Amino acid sequence: MKRLLVMGAALALTVASAQQMQGNPNLRGEITVWSWDIAAKALEANIPGFNKLFPNVKVRVLDLGNQATYDRGLAGCAAGGGDLPDVYSVENNEAEVFWARFPNCFTDLNTLQPAASTLRNQFPAFKWTELTVGNKVFAMPWDSGPVVMFYRRDIYNQAGVNPATIRTWDDFIAAGRRIAQATNNRVKVGVIANGQDDEWFRMLANQNGCFYFNNEANAVTVNQPGCVTALETVKKLIDAGIVMQGGWNEQIQAFKAGTVATSMFGAWYEGTIRSNAPEQSGKWGVYPMPASRPGGVRAANLGGSALAIPASSRNKEAAWAFVRYALGTTEGQVTMLKEFGLVPSLLAATRDPYVNQPQPYWGNQRIWQVILGTLGNVPAARGTQFFQEARAIMVKTQADYVAGRFPSAKAALDAAAQQISQATGLPIAR
Amino acid sequence: MKRRLWWRSFWLHLFLTPLALLWLAPLWLMFVFSTHPETAIFSTPTPILPSNQFAANLQSLQSDTNFLRTLFNSVMVASIYTVLSIFLTSLAGYAFARFEFWGKGLLFSLVIATLTIPYFAVVIPQFILVAREAKTLLAILIGMAVFGGIAALLAWLRFSPALGRVLWVGYALAALAYLFLGVPALREAMTFDFRLTNTWWAVILPSLANSLGVFFMRQNFLSLPASLLEAARIDGAGEFRIFFRIAVPLVLPAMAALAIILFLASWNDYLWPLLVLSDREMQTAPVALGSLIGLTRVSWGGIMVGAVMTTLPFLVLFLFLQRYFIAGITAGGVKD
Amino acid sequence: MKRSATPYLFLLPYLAIFALFWAWPILESLLLSFQNTRVSPPVWNLSVNWGRILGDAAFWDALRNTVLILVIQVPLMLALATALAVALNSQLLRARGFFRFAFFAPVVVGAVAYSAVFRLLFNQNGAVNAATGLDLNWIFDPVGAMAVIIITLTWRWTGYNAIIILAGLQSIPKDLYEAAEIDGASPWQQFWRITVPSLRPVLLFCLVLSIIGTLQLFTEPWLITNGGPGTATTTLGVYLYRQGFQNINFGYASTIAYAITLLALVFSIIQLRLFGRES
Repeated sequence: MKRLLVMGAALALTVASAQQMQGNPNLRGEITVWSWDIAAKALEANIPGFNKLFPNVKVRVLDLGNQATYDRGLAGCAAGGGDLPDVYSVENNEAEVFWARFPNCFTDLNTLQPAASTLRNQFPAFKWTELTVGNKVFAMPWDSGPVVMFYRRDIYNQAGVNPATIRTWDDFIAAGRRIAQATNNRVKVGVIANGQDDEWFRMLANQNGCFYFNNEANAVTVNQPGCVTALETVKKLIDAGIVMQGGWNEQIQAFKAGTVATSMFGAWYEGTIRSNAPEQSGKWGVYPMPASRPGGVRAANLGGSALAIPASSRNKEAAWAFVRYALGTTEGQVTMLKEFGLVPSLLAATRDPYVNQPQPYWGNQRIWQVILGTLGNVPAARGTQFFQEARAIMVKTQADYVAGRFPSAKAALDAAAQQISQATGLPIAR
Repeated sequence: MKRRLWWRSFWLHLFLTPLALLWLAPLWLMFVFSTHPETAIFSTPTPILPSNQFAANLQSLQSDTNFLRTLFNSVMVASIYTVLSIFLTSLAGYAFARFEFWGKGLLFSLVIATLTIPYFAVVIPQFILVAREAKTLLAILIGMAVFGGIAALLAWLRFSPALGRVLWVGYALAALAYLFLGVPALREAMTFDFRLTNTWWAVILPSLANSLGVFFMRQNFLSLPASLLEAARIDGAGEFRIFFRIAVPLVLPAMAALAIILFLASWNDYLWPLLVLSDREMQTAPVALGSLIGLTRVSWGGIMVGAVMTTLPFLVLFLFLQRYFIAGITAGGVKD
Repeated sequence: MKRSATPYLFLLPYLAIFALFWAWPILESLLLSFQNTRVSPPVWNLSVNWGRILGDAAFWDALRNTVLILVIQVPLMLALATALAVALNSQLLRARGFFRFAFFAPVVVGAVAYSAVFRLLFNQNGAVNAATGLDLNWIFDPVGAMAVIIITLTWRWTGYNAIIILAGLQSIPKDLYEAAEIDGASPWQQFWRITVPSLRPVLLFCLVLSIIGTLQLFTEPWLITNGGPGTATTTLGVYLYRQGFQNINFGYASTIAYAITLLALVFSIIQLRLFGRES
């Protein structure tokens, strides 16, 4: 599978140092933004800076929760495009269903001034794939989610585990066992939402260059070798008894209570840890995800979002100004990085001096160097318009496989591929 | 003999008392939790006595979602729905109970058949109608009002049977023509922005097609002595007059029971309001509350406050008006 | 009685709403089930949805879960409701008002409110684990999650059914019991020989209500377990909601809706066949 030549090549080509924006006090009105959790807070943090440039635009950010934002966006489009906000947050992986099914629900950002196409070079090319249909651009890239391991330095130390020696998943399992031993089984080294989500599978599959669909979005690839290895690893982790099972909320409860020593997630989880457990400052650190085999890829992507402007917005100019400020200026993107750990897609922002600073919360580690350093190795993966349907099937398949209802991971994924193919009408890739 | 009865009574209470306490526990804990901070809710042992954090929890609930506003929406939706539904179902129930007319059997079986048809069979078209085709719906509703008025006028004018027949046939043709030609034309003519989603009417209108209410009112009108209504008829009173002046006052207790059940059903309804109300300012209380369950940043104490506030008024009402609640619930159950 | 327009005028307002929001939608659902609604605009396709549903593992999961609730929860609840009704009807009972309130009160509690309460009670750090000393992760265990749904439903609906059964009990003539008492029949014998046979139509009615209610189950699994873990508590209602309003596939959701309707029909016909003469 193609490697993304993200940082290196693109950085060399871009000349301008920092992206800035002209203000306009004549732009007036009120805009509403739908978003979720940390992402919503990050957008909110950008309002003061935005209002310095556009003092007469009032921005209201609503935190609906991730699933509700998606559900209500789709329902709003299905209802004919009403009841939507002026600015809408959507995860890249989940985005294509909107443009495919409701091509008139969102504004083609090329019809606004300045046209989105003029901003193309300021972002890595792959960030646009899921947001573009032909000549139309329906959303602007926001952040990406390079996967890393967030870990508790103190607990690892106590168990005598050195994260630098964890290079493969087998190393990780061994480390998990030592930590369990050292803490009387009280502390786990991960939270897997088995039965509720399949995010570990997706991260590991992506790491192995595999995903539900191929990057042309015309075939199901979920039963290919990279995915098989990923699913096997998930089961190994659970069978080893070193991870606990739980969802988003349980994971937060667990790290607050100190019963989990590692969280694997997209880098945006940095802000979630930092803002939920301020008292654990200095105790956390970051290391790259382990590989499936010695010398293998130690990078993946999970999440990463974009902002779109519904066609029903009555104040598209103001909405576009806000989107461009928050996502298209170094100031906007670095604000969100600093406050909430959202990794900028904007190339200029990834070179901001801030990313080289040691972070006190993370034991003075230069975590953004570590995190951004993995970006170039992330294999491409495309959600397609069938992402949610494939995900629902995969959540179930993973749970069944973990519970021992399939003889092998290959058999489980063959069955999943069959179902996904049946639900989407796409053929299974050979 | 007496001794045996005492033992029977003893076993009865021994079985029933713990069960009753177990049944009350969720409600009691809901109330208790609404007065505690979240940390206390998850502590061991679980608090079983109220604390003093109700106001703080209410405040957090109010900032998570404008809960007081959603309570107001719920009150208004349930009230308007109840009044309208009572009106519609009594009229229809009376017609089925007191008149013989062509098509009665078929119409009544159609209405009653829907009692056994799952609501899911209609929810998607209802959603399309209300959410996407609001203008079509408006055109149809306008037509219904106009044609309803014409029908009332035709009936009131009392033409000779021959002329009357011609007029009614013409009326039916005109109504059909309106449905197939007038409605699309009118819809196209509506260039303004008209939406029903996020309005009270989106919630109220579809649930007015309530067939249980028709059945219930029919049963009650059937139980009225026919002689009473016949006497009024002989005195020359119009049918509507008989309905409002004689029949309705006699079934008022039944209407009260139905009103309570309808109000409660509307107050607690979740799926349909969830589909058509997305704007926080327009949501009903259950929809707003449901949207908070499972969100990290939302405190359970606040959610429990919401649960208490949507439940407590009815628990109190239930204490005093149990008879009416029970009459409504047993409506279809026990045939007379 | 003479023919006149009057009865139609009484019926008109209701029937207009009925035609618009029930009669037409039932038809349109059927039409939608024969359309591929995943393309824009939708196109007619007789097999895309009906062909899919038969081989759709997720649908069969949802069906299995729903039937599981039907065969476990419904009989359990009706048995308990009958026992409660008999107990509440007993002449020996003291503090009748208290007991009636305890069991009947859930009738007025909204699904969202009690779903929130039960989800909280069965949290891993919640009251149920604290009170029983268990450390079960109810919501994340397939069996535990289903148990929570069943317990919640039983809590909410037992009193409701007991109310109906109690009304049925009170319409059984007292002299039947008096005669049995004189013949020396024990309460247990009276229950099986008089109460149960007399209650059959009422129990049948409760059964029909419960089956239709279970086939439409949505709010509780949606809010308590979100249909999970995996699909362990995904009922037909939850699956329909996911297809219809999360994947916005109205055609397939309508097909599921019709499948549910057919099931309701089958159950109704079975009941008519089995018990038709009595009711």
